[in-house]
Amino acid sequence: MKVLKVSGWTIAAFVLPCLFLYVCLVFAPIIVSVYNGMLDWNGIGQSKFVGLANFEKMFTNDSLFWPAVGRTFLLAGFSMLIQLPVALFVAILISRFVRRTGFLVSSYFLPVILSVAVIGQLWKTIYNPAPMGGMINQILINLGLDSWTHSWLTEPKIAIYAIIVVALWQYLGYHILIQFTGIQNIPADIYEAAKIDGASGFKADRYITLPLIVPIFKISVVLSFIGSLQSFDLIMVMTGGGPANATNVLASYMYNMSFLSMKYGYGSAIASFLVVVCLAATVVINLLFNRLDKRFS
Amino acid sequence: MKFLNRKMLLSAMAGVLAVSLAACGSSGNNKNDTSSPAASPNASESPKASQSGGSNEKVTITFQNIYPDPTDPKYNMLRKIVAQYEADHPNVKIELDSLNTDQQKLKLKTQAASKEVPDITIVNPAAQMKPFVDADLFAPLNEMVEKNGLKGTFQEGILDYYSFDGNLYALPDGNNIALIYYNKKMFEEAGAKVPTTFEELVDTVKQLKSKGMTPIAIGEKDSWTGSFLFMNVLLRTNGGPGFLQDVLDGKKTFEDPAFVEAVDAFQNLVQAGAFQEGATSFDYNAGENLFKTGKAAMYFMGSWATGGIETSTVGENGEVGVFKFPTVGGKGNPDEFMLAPGSAFAVSKNSKHLEETLDFLNYFMLNYPKEAFAVKGAVGVAQNIDEDFKAAGYSDMAMEVLGMFKDVKGGDLAFDNTMNPGTAQVHLSSIQNLFVAKKDSAEVGKEHQKGYEENKE
Repeated sequence: MKVLKVSGWTIAAFVLPCLFLYVCLVFAPIIVSVYNGMLDWNGIGQSKFVGLANFEKMFTNDSLFWPAVGRTFLLAGFSMLIQLPVALFVAILISRFVRRTGFLVSSYFLPVILSVAVIGQLWKTIYNPAPMGGMINQILINLGLDSWTHSWLTEPKIAIYAIIVVALWQYLGYHILIQFTGIQNIPADIYEAAKIDGASGFKADRYITLPLIVPIFKISVVLSFIGSLQSFDLIMVMTGGGPANATNVLASYMYNMSFLSMKYGYGSAIASFLVVVCLAATVVINLLFNRLDKRFS
Repeated sequence: MKFLNRKMLLSAMAGVLAVSLAACGSSGNNKNDTSSPAASPNASESPKASQSGGSNEKVTITFQNIYPDPTDPKYNMLRKIVAQYEADHPNVKIELDSLNTDQQKLKLKTQAASKEVPDITIVNPAAQMKPFVDADLFAPLNEMVEKNGLKGTFQEGILDYYSFDGNLYALPDGNNIALIYYNKKMFEEAGAKVPTTFEELVDTVKQLKSKGMTPIAIGEKDSWTGSFLFMNVLLRTNGGPGFLQDVLDGKKTFEDPAFVEAVDAFQNLVQAGAFQEGATSFDYNAGENLFKTGKAAMYFMGSWATGGIETSTVGENGEVGVFKFPTVGGKGNPDEFMLAPGSAFAVSKNSKHLEETLDFLNYFMLNYPKEAFAVKGAVGVAQNIDEDFKAAGYSDMAMEVLGMFKDVKGGDLAFDNTMNPGTAQVHLSSIQNLFVAKKDSAEVGKEHQKGYEENKE
């Protein structure tokens, strides 16, 4: 404190407002949802305290809950395993081969700033059956691949993958931007030194770029993982969780339960579960990356 | 200097603290019934002002409604009545919050959770509005409806769907029946006849399909649309109305043969390729537009769609006819309809300007039938209209629909108007599933029964 040469009051003045807001906007609602999760409540009328009954039902006796969890992790898994590596690869290519990077990076970034409603409608049209002008199906037909055509958003087994593709496409540019910036920040003299030692091209990437990008990559991983867990808007716009719950993820299931089935208490229980999963995921990812960091440093 | 700084800091902090506490307060919300938007500082003055009725106090009334579509005659009609009222009452401003049906339902539920219901909002009859009434959110309209003879304008019995324990809580914008609209030109091209039984309907579907036409348009992303059609099948296989009521009374279960037969029949229709490809991703408007633009040959919907269809491309060409939902397996009576007492206007009990709001709604409902008639939106209005529809230029199609109203010999309400929301959701997604997968009909019955028992109160 003394070192900073400011009074405790000043520090408090700067920290407290934010802390208050944080407590009010983050912690209070979480605690309220956990409490609401213990209610049998339709959201507008009288409520009844039922303890952990909602959680018990959710974990043991709800045929829609675990599939929704599964789909949520499916989405997260795809963005980990496909989206981020692709983003990293593209970022490396751009920084290596492109002189004026602004245009390319902006184009990749464009979908991120479009509203999800626009993207949802756009892709709905692309996925439409051929008679309704669906692009993918028309291309398939023109290529003579009639048997490959699908009603992409309404076949229960395919619909969730169709949505995943859109989600990955939309945020690809976001992760390219993050990782591209990370690569740009690696000092050029390291590469020069490596060149003298005989490591250039992709060898330099393997031994310099990859290890040095780890901290930035971690941010990407956390953002994309948490983002996938919370994915909601795109699903609401494109399918509303349907057909018959086939594309429900945790967040959309929570919403449908709270507001369509009017089981606000039960919905809050799902919300609490979602919070716990997000926190756990963040901790696990941090642990993993701390280990990675150590290994490289 | 130092002292001054400290004092400034302190007062700044106090301000920040107050702001954050206020934020806490409003996010804590809902459980205590005393907290309501009406508890604002000027609450003590406003009753005085509103007692004098047409005072000069500036009043803003929020009017949540479900007429967002500018091509729907009701859209302009609503704005016209509002403009008239505002001209007569310069101190009143009516703020419209126009949403489509599903959005409005969700928004209202969210608002209700924080007890911030708009001054006027839209609710659906019977089971769907019960939770709101139980939560004591609406003002009784018993007195208001007596003013200016408003009550007498409504059709007999219609207000019962909106009354609980002797109190009336909402005024309906319509009283509709379900029927099938069909495109005469497309039927002619395909050489199809108007079906008189469900089995013929399935054949007609196949015939239209073989000519490369979409037989029936539906907006099944909004899953009530499919349920509405399914319930009409059930109304037939059950040999008459009252199936759901029997289930509620414990006299029948969803595993009853009538229900299973209805699922079978419905699946036959789906499997015959009756609906457009990808039906479950079409919302209500997108589905209806297929019919309105002549891309589908039939459309099953409540008679509220008449106005919109009449003014659409196919309607203006006089290509649209209507028929009653046919018998299924020889059972049922086509004169029994799916009844749809319309969405209704309710007034928030906590409205800051309750008096003005009631006065406006009274004015609105008195003018509603006349204005609806003028914009050709009067088919299926819940109020009596003693006008000559034919002379006013209503189309043959509209006249046919009006004729059908005279044949009505009872019927059923939609599923979600009869059962509680939890059961309704199980039903809606179960029926939606039939559009994308073939199921064992007995299983569907079991699924319903399980959902019903789990959600029983």
